[in-house]
Amino acid sequence: MTATVDPITFEVLKHRLWQINDEQSAAIKTISASPIVVEGNDFNTGLFTAQGEVVIAGIGSVVHVTTMGDTVRSIIGRAGRIRDGDVFLTNDPFMGALHQNDVVMASPVFVDGEVFMWIGNVLHHPDVGGIDEGSFCINARTIYQDPPRYFLKIVDEGVPSPEVEHTFVTNSRLPDMVLLDLGAQIGAIDRARRRIDDLLAEQGAATVRAVMEGAIDVAEAQVRDAIADLPEGNWTGNAWMDGDRVGSDRIHRVALRLSKEQETLHFDFTGSSPQVDAAVNSTWPATVGGAAVPLFSFLCQGDIDWNEGLRRRMRITAPEGTVVNARFPAPVSISTVGFRWLVTVAAAEAIARMFASSERFRDRVCPSWNSSSNCNNVFATAADGRRVGALLSDHRGSGGGARSFADGFDHAGTITSFASSMGNVEGTEWKLPVLYVYRRCIPDSGGAGMYRGGLTAEIALVPRGTDALVLKSTNTAGTDQTNAHGIAGGYPGAGSQTSVVREGRVRELIRSGAAPSAPAEFGGRIHHLASKDEAVLGPDDALVFYPAGGGGYGDPLDRDPDAVAADVAEGHVSRDQARAQYGVALADDGRVDLAETDAARDRMRRARRQGAAETGWTAGTKIETPGTHRIGEHLESVVDEEGQTLRCARCGHDLAGVILRRRPLGAAGPLRALRWGGDSPNFVLEEVVCPGCATLHEVREIRIEGKETTP
Amino acid sequence: MASGALSLGVDTGGTFTDIVQIDAAGAVTVDKAFSTPARPEDGAIESLAGLARNTQRPVGAVLGAAARFAHGTTVSTNALIQRSGARVGLIATRGFEDTLVIGRGPVGRVGGLPHAKAMDFLHTEPPAPLVSRRLVRGIGERVTAEGQVLAPLDGDEAAQAVRALVEAGAESLAVCLLWSFLHPDHEEAVREIAAGVAPGVPVFLSSEIAPRIGEYERMVTTAVAAHVGPATTRYIASLQDRLAEDGLRYPIQIMTAAGGTTLPDGAAREAVSVVNSGPVGGLVAARHLGKALGIENAITADMGGTSFDVGLISRGTIERTGTPFLDQGLPVLTRSARIDTLGAGGGSIAVSDGFRLRVGPESAGADPGPAAYGRGGERPTVTDALVVLGIVDPERFFGGRYRLDAGLAEASIQRHVARPLGLSIADAAAGIVEVVNGRMSDLIRKATVETGNDPRAFALFAYGGACGAHCADLAMRLGIGRTIVPYGAPVFSALGIALSDIVYAHTLSAPVGLDDEQAARRVARESLAALAGRAEADLAASGFAPGDAALRYSVEMRYRGQMNEISLGLPEGAAEPGLAGRLRRAFESLYEQRYGASAVRVAAGMEIVSFGVEASVAADVPEFSERAPPAAAPGPVRRRRIHRRGADPLEAEIHDFETLGPGAAVAGPAVIERDMTTIWVPPSALASVDRLGNIEIAAEGRE
Repeated sequence: MTATVDPITFEVLKHRLWQINDEQSAAIKTISASPIVVEGNDFNTGLFTAQGEVVIAGIGSVVHVTTMGDTVRSIIGRAGRIRDGDVFLTNDPFMGALHQNDVVMASPVFVDGEVFMWIGNVLHHPDVGGIDEGSFCINARTIYQDPPRYFLKIVDEGVPSPEVEHTFVTNSRLPDMVLLDLGAQIGAIDRARRRIDDLLAEQGAATVRAVMEGAIDVAEAQVRDAIADLPEGNWTGNAWMDGDRVGSDRIHRVALRLSKEQETLHFDFTGSSPQVDAAVNSTWPATVGGAAVPLFSFLCQGDIDWNEGLRRRMRITAPEGTVVNARFPAPVSISTVGFRWLVTVAAAEAIARMFASSERFRDRVCPSWNSSSNCNNVFATAADGRRVGALLSDHRGSGGGARSFADGFDHAGTITSFASSMGNVEGTEWKLPVLYVYRRCIPDSGGAGMYRGGLTAEIALVPRGTDALVLKSTNTAGTDQTNAHGIAGGYPGAGSQTSVVREGRVRELIRSGAAPSAPAEFGGRIHHLASKDEAVLGPDDALVFYPAGGGGYGDPLDRDPDAVAADVAEGHVSRDQARAQYGVALADDGRVDLAETDAARDRMRRARRQGAAETGWTAGTKIETPGTHRIGEHLESVVDEEGQTLRCARCGHDLAGVILRRRPLGAAGPLRALRWGGDSPNFVLEEVVCPGCATLHEVREIRIEGKETTP
Repeated sequence: MASGALSLGVDTGGTFTDIVQIDAAGAVTVDKAFSTPARPEDGAIESLAGLARNTQRPVGAVLGAAARFAHGTTVSTNALIQRSGARVGLIATRGFEDTLVIGRGPVGRVGGLPHAKAMDFLHTEPPAPLVSRRLVRGIGERVTAEGQVLAPLDGDEAAQAVRALVEAGAESLAVCLLWSFLHPDHEEAVREIAAGVAPGVPVFLSSEIAPRIGEYERMVTTAVAAHVGPATTRYIASLQDRLAEDGLRYPIQIMTAAGGTTLPDGAAREAVSVVNSGPVGGLVAARHLGKALGIENAITADMGGTSFDVGLISRGTIERTGTPFLDQGLPVLTRSARIDTLGAGGGSIAVSDGFRLRVGPESAGADPGPAAYGRGGERPTVTDALVVLGIVDPERFFGGRYRLDAGLAEASIQRHVARPLGLSIADAAAGIVEVVNGRMSDLIRKATVETGNDPRAFALFAYGGACGAHCADLAMRLGIGRTIVPYGAPVFSALGIALSDIVYAHTLSAPVGLDDEQAARRVARESLAALAGRAEADLAASGFAPGDAALRYSVEMRYRGQMNEISLGLPEGAAEPGLAGRLRRAFESLYEQRYGASAVRVAAGMEIVSFGVEASVAADVPEFSERAPPAAAPGPVRRRRIHRRGADPLEAEIHDFETLGPGAAVAGPAVIERDMTTIWVPPSALASVDRLGNIEIAAEGRE
């Protein structure tokens, strides 16, 4: 019964659907009591076809777009009777939820006795049980220590089920908040349903169906057009996890080879690590959602609708039994900030390399953005006996990667949502028994480059009004290697670290008006925690953490010295690092000493030549399309009668042979591998240098194979 | 108001400065002058001179007879947008000097941007900083969430900070310390210290400017005040002096975004509210006109060249919002009328990639303008589509002052829309109008539904140069029965400014849980007393007695843990026993209306976040007088073919508004042409002119 619809009616009604769905989002943001929803934007809303294809997704997190569709399809497949007025609930990652905190609700809309479409939404609940507070189960080894997985009918033919609601809520450490969030989800669906009913009465089901199907088709066609404009080739992305559960420093990898196959992008994760007995594993739907994130954010942006259309142009290979396609009963409650996150990190790198090969898309190059989600759940019993707790929001102060035309954004938020923000210090102190010591921008946390990576923020707080603040730290990665990739010769940004300072004098210093501004001034013992770790903070202890910075773009020696001087003046870069990374010497008045800068840069270029000669370098890109074209900043692919060569566009040197120079991670700047004093035994920086002009073409964090050292 | 006295309203806009005079009999006289951005007072004075000339009186006589001179100014808005106000030095609690730089992550970068722009992740350049990082100093002090002093203020350090900032070039100081709204003493001490160290440098305290929880928004608000406050006060003083010299006997009144006016002595403190106050005048005018027409629930729709602004009046009250964004990345804690905006206007550009047809938000502006202007604009706009459809007469656009070229409009629509989508030119033109009407009606739905309302229970007030061609279609799409194109539409903001009450509003955060009724009542009592004190001090400073003003209290509440509050009226005596129960019931009733019964959680804890007071001194303005019947005889002046999509053209009557007196009726399809605007009356709609000269369009059903 597919009707056709003219482009005008299509545009008008599609926007109407968008608006109806946006009202779901507005209702959720108003009703939810969860900072991660209202400030973090970790939710989304959607309208779906009768088969569960995403037609319209809201402005929440893009990581939920494809997973909402997967979940609705699972519900359709497994539900018993589906009746008008039913609302289904599931948080099962094997049915499509990213992890158990992400509770999906979906409800059918009936026309003439048949399911016509679905309305749904997903929202991160603050605690749904499991072995650890906040439900990121850093101690779980099997799924049975993870939070329970539900598949329920919470509203039965329009009648809410108090028993179901009670069962769900009673397993939470924060039942009041969970109750409000359930109300938010049901309220949002109710509101959208009324508006959909109006629309169907007004326009008829056939027209609305044609608009819904058209919305997916049009988005798919737009994505196909974009892919057609990309050069043929394949590009790699990498991400590492250092530490998978409490007490473990095991290192695992997400390996990605992205290739353009006609009008499809193929994400091949073959080579990723086997699944682990820790809750960081990613299920198949989470991996698909994670791979799609940089495409939604950097390719679709506001131009191509966020729906199933993109998914149709993606092909995913993820071997079963790996960290990117975990087999039951692997625990998965950390997935979304575990391997799902790293899938996005690897995809962002590969996609940046792909865009760097395209004139049309070069302005979309961004190699990293919030590479590590440094999530800290803090829980305590408040003075009035209530249990309080929340995921702190400060990790959204992290840096964005540099772009091909400008510096990365400082304190950029997340790649998954443009509106994912940090809470106010006052808002958090009102809700939780904590006192902030500082929240500051950290100099030198952005990766060096011709364009600098964005800066991150460091946060310090102490317990207040409790003698025992429980900390559950779920830091994606970044206590060793950073994953904060640079591109085209840019260095990685700062890693991601949580630390506890024991038995310090912070409280006393604050009282005397001399609040400290760095952990070294706290006067206690500093413990740099592993990426998954826990602690109980007493009155004299402090929590300090920073999420990742952004990686740089291009050779730092190509950065305008005046831009470096401005960075120093604004406190973005220290004088030392201006010299060490950029070769820029400043006079006492802060202005550039040009002669000394030229000399310093010459010395640095000479030093780069001290590496080992290497052949067969391909810049992560194998170009199969005839024709000469630029890659990134100073690379070009040249095809002539002798075949294809990679060349330095600056000096013309053939890059079949390059200089590889290895340096410790800490050479990229401070705030890297703090647990190892800046010099990791597991990873090393590898710099790719042009033998002709000593231009830096690439900087990578390389695993030292065969070694696994723990502190 | 003294008998025989005049009310004057002057609204400075981007192009024109509008003036409205309402005399004691309710007769409205209007005039316009060109705005003078470099010295905006010149444009204001010129508009007054024009009005005096056209009514054949000396300026002194007009001003001498004026009981009030109310003014909407863009001085603060311009200073903010151009960052041309005072160089601000900021003093913060040590450890939190980077609050503005960090900007709560993306809030400081993409907050306030339209979604489509914010979604373009990699091209969201941050706005120019309000305060240079070099002009921020932290000082030792700390107050806790309970308002207790953890670390006393270090006075020496504060003095050093002030000295250093002034030496580094600060012309104005903003002070924002953590939790200062619970314990303002530290900020007040900094001001005293600054008065000693740097006399003459204005100091703005967050505990006075915006005593509400949330240090980022409070700091932004305080910094905006410090940035635009001095320029705003200077401008007002200068205008006041010139008008007083010319015979004005009262202090001028300045329009704020909250929908009232403030007096010059309050303008420095309320400088933030003066920013973006322009569109609010229209809401005040609609509320006033609504009273005369028996309309309590109204949607206002203002469509100009580049944007479409929607406001809401519900039960006679202008709908407010708590934390509006003044500009990209600048959320402020001022009470402001809720205005939803869409980049859609007469100049909005239509584009198609062969898949879709989009209209706006990009605008051709006034230069080059629509293709039909013939000034080099290549891409088709909404105005071009209206020309092609026959709704806008190219010979009579803007009262015939511009000749439009219909051929250019057709060619651009053919090239950019019709050909890519395979449509006829007329269908493409109709499509452009349909798409923009669809977006606008979706925005109106959003504004009403999000506030728990149904658009069908509202009347639509349509004004702004471009709205007349669209408003009846919007009403039909939304099921709105009454659409009013006011007689005063061309100067509607200035009219509202002339009609505004003097309003002093304060909000004070005092978070407290409702489960402890005793504590809640104590906090309520203290907070309301503090607010009453502030309102009375404002009134006294402006020369009013307490009895001159009506005081209305409100409370902002939420379920414990939520981050958005709902505002409820709080009758006096609210601190009496039973407060908690009453508030809970009122909250839940409103909640159910907005979000449905399933969202009401009887077991959930509840908390008060803030209290508010609004003291208003009513503007004593007479009823509008009836409009005299026109000299010319009514009846269509022309007929014209109006194209439709996928249907035969219609033969429409064309009427000249000046010939339509009270009681005149025009059945659609018809076009009513007025000096600055064109009003489209679709088939099956009926337009009639009421005794005040307003056009009311009655339309049934949907298009």
